[in-house]
Amino acid sequence: MSIPTHAEREVAVAVALDLRTFLRLRPRRDARVLVALPSIGVRLGWEAAPLRDLRAALPGDLEESKPPSLEQLDKLREFAGIAHGAPAAESLATLAFLYLYLAISAKYGEVPSMDIVVWSELPTGAGLGSSAAYSVCLAAALLTACGAIGCPLEEGKPTARWTEKELDLINRWAFQGERVIHGNPSGVDNAVGTWGGALQYQSGKITPLKRVPTLRILLTNTKVPRSTKILVAGVKDKLLKFPAIMNPVLDSIDAISHECECVLETMAVNPSLEHYPVLEELFDINQHHLNVIGVGHSSLDQLCQVTALHGLHSKLTGAGGGGCGITLLRPDTPSPVVEAAKRDLITCGFECWETSIGAPGAARVSTSSI
Amino acid sequence: MPPEALVVSAPGKAILHGEHAVVHGKVAVAVALDLRTFLRLRPRRDARVLVALPSIGVRLGWEAAPLRDLRAALPGDLEESKPPSLEQLDKLREFAGIAHGAPAAESLATLAFLYLYLAISAKYGEVPSMDIVVWSELPTGAGLGSSAAYSVCLAAALLTACGAIGCPLEEGKPTARWTEKELDLINRWAFQGERVIHGNPSGVDNAVGTWGGALQYQSGKITPLKRVPTLRILLTNTKVPRSTKILVAGVKDKLLKFPAIMNPVLDSIDAISHECECVLETMAVNPSLEHYPVLEELFDINQHHLNVIGVGHSSLDQLCQVTALHGLHSKLTGAGGGGCGITLLRPDTPSPVVEAAKRDLITCGFECWETSIGAPGVCLHSPPSMKAEILQALR
Repeated sequence: MSIPTHAEREVAVAVALDLRTFLRLRPRRDARVLVALPSIGVRLGWEAAPLRDLRAALPGDLEESKPPSLEQLDKLREFAGIAHGAPAAESLATLAFLYLYLAISAKYGEVPSMDIVVWSELPTGAGLGSSAAYSVCLAAALLTACGAIGCPLEEGKPTARWTEKELDLINRWAFQGERVIHGNPSGVDNAVGTWGGALQYQSGKITPLKRVPTLRILLTNTKVPRSTKILVAGVKDKLLKFPAIMNPVLDSIDAISHECECVLETMAVNPSLEHYPVLEELFDINQHHLNVIGVGHSSLDQLCQVTALHGLHSKLTGAGGGGCGITLLRPDTPSPVVEAAKRDLITCGFECWETSIGAPGAARVSTSSI
Repeated sequence: MPPEALVVSAPGKAILHGEHAVVHGKVAVAVALDLRTFLRLRPRRDARVLVALPSIGVRLGWEAAPLRDLRAALPGDLEESKPPSLEQLDKLREFAGIAHGAPAAESLATLAFLYLYLAISAKYGEVPSMDIVVWSELPTGAGLGSSAAYSVCLAAALLTACGAIGCPLEEGKPTARWTEKELDLINRWAFQGERVIHGNPSGVDNAVGTWGGALQYQSGKITPLKRVPTLRILLTNTKVPRSTKILVAGVKDKLLKFPAIMNPVLDSIDAISHECECVLETMAVNPSLEHYPVLEELFDINQHHLNVIGVGHSSLDQLCQVTALHGLHSKLTGAGGGGCGITLLRPDTPSPVVEAAKRDLITCGFECWETSIGAPGVCLHSPPSMKAEILQALR
């Protein structure tokens, strides 16, 4: 999940949300490949042989540095029987799987027949990186299944992380999955999904922050639909209309991101309560700026006001105009306060999760620990 | 000295944009509020000088002779370019019997009168015996320029009474304005009155009271805007008390704590003031409705910035939310932390909407006036043309 600034030149800080997508891959003996994403109604299955034929028939390369081509995606759509106008979520999930399955097996050798089940704690289409989390899981699972990366689970340990080099490979393949789904993604979502923690994003450059604390938050989905494209265009319009008024606001947001990074890095070393007032103030200031650049919404004002009644500080996250907000919880925020805030948010008609940010990235999970 | 009474009035002032940022060298736009202070001066034949400000309980009277003696006894000059000295003010306090710890409003109003009366008569010749009544539509101590409106009225009336400036009232005309040169003189003396009251004032309030309309203020430099439209507004006083000094210090602290975050916000406010000036100047020539969305947006943006720099308050949030429910746009004006807010009304905002907004604001416990900005500066009134209730208040 990221906290973008709607303008390329500024710095954004993206953080990993502890709402996760899980993927279970089980080998099969019957030369079939099955994929299920029950929460979006996807249940697919193919024989391994037609998939091999499809791979051979695909035009062009399947290099992980090259974006998937339109011809390749059309062929995959044809193979999977995806009609134009089919529901986007299901189609794109299918295409991403097929592309990664075929490309990874083309490069590293046959991916054995398997069945895959995917389940997520993340809402879809809410700007929270659910498609990237899926792509990262697919990439990690498929690369592990074909032996391109190791299988680092240790006896008795609930989770395990791959090496930096392996994570880099996962990330690059996950980015391919994102390209199938989004066309021209920034790469931030899959980077966060892979590396976890927090990262800085500026002008296409992604820099993980070394150590970040885990911060408790409420994540709220106002469920007010909006078009990211329209919101981004609106900000651009305002910038053109009032450059001398708006450009400084973007500079201020840039400074907020930098300040936040400093505070997070300090907190990772010295997790004192004294840093929270600063984080809260940065939330408040940034929320004002986001309203100024025109991506506010009455539902988000309501979210902020409701949490403020409980002494909590919130800001929109992502595109704005509705969508999601995050509320910072201090380590010593009493449970009754959190529960009361959640109740009030739900009463507004919002969805609300108590979770954290700065979560771990892609990880292998021991099934007995789930 | 005209044989009959003369009535003058001067407008209060509100900051349209740029409050707090102006302290840090950015541009502010100050506008004249059409809530006015009125002063009636009537000559007397009995060598006495009487001053009444009934709404703040001031009722003073002196014989002309002791005043002449006082003037002679004052240390130092009474030049309108020199600030009143502490010694001079002490002597005036002594004369007027103002004890330390006496209520500020009354004391300062008295001192300002005495200083201007003595200084103006020292320079231009005897100001004849007279009685003066002052009445105001402006709340005091709310940052709306009530003391400056008073000083401007005093200066204008006293200068007219002693013949330093003319009395341009024409037969049949309800009001009259002085020449530019005369207004400049009024302004300089009004500034002296403000110095007595505030010590080290910016000069903006008296400039607005004198010139009216709108003016730009930056780093001590005051530039009247040539032509501005009259804009309808609601002026609301949350009545939440605050210390301007503490708020200004708080902004400075935030600037020091987060310079890279805060300095751009001040730059943005500066740009808002400039944009607002452009729009006002365009509207003065072409008063089309199409400009109002821009003015409203500037209000909203500036209000966000003022919250960011730390001068917001829950009462002001409430003011903005309440007016927003009626489709109206508001911002705090002045120091913030409570105090006053302004709400823009379009020319075609229906009466029921305005009334409903006012009702809701009053329900919040606020005071609310429907008035306008860009009002005329200090002027002379022909009494027969004035509203009965004002004439009554000045009796």
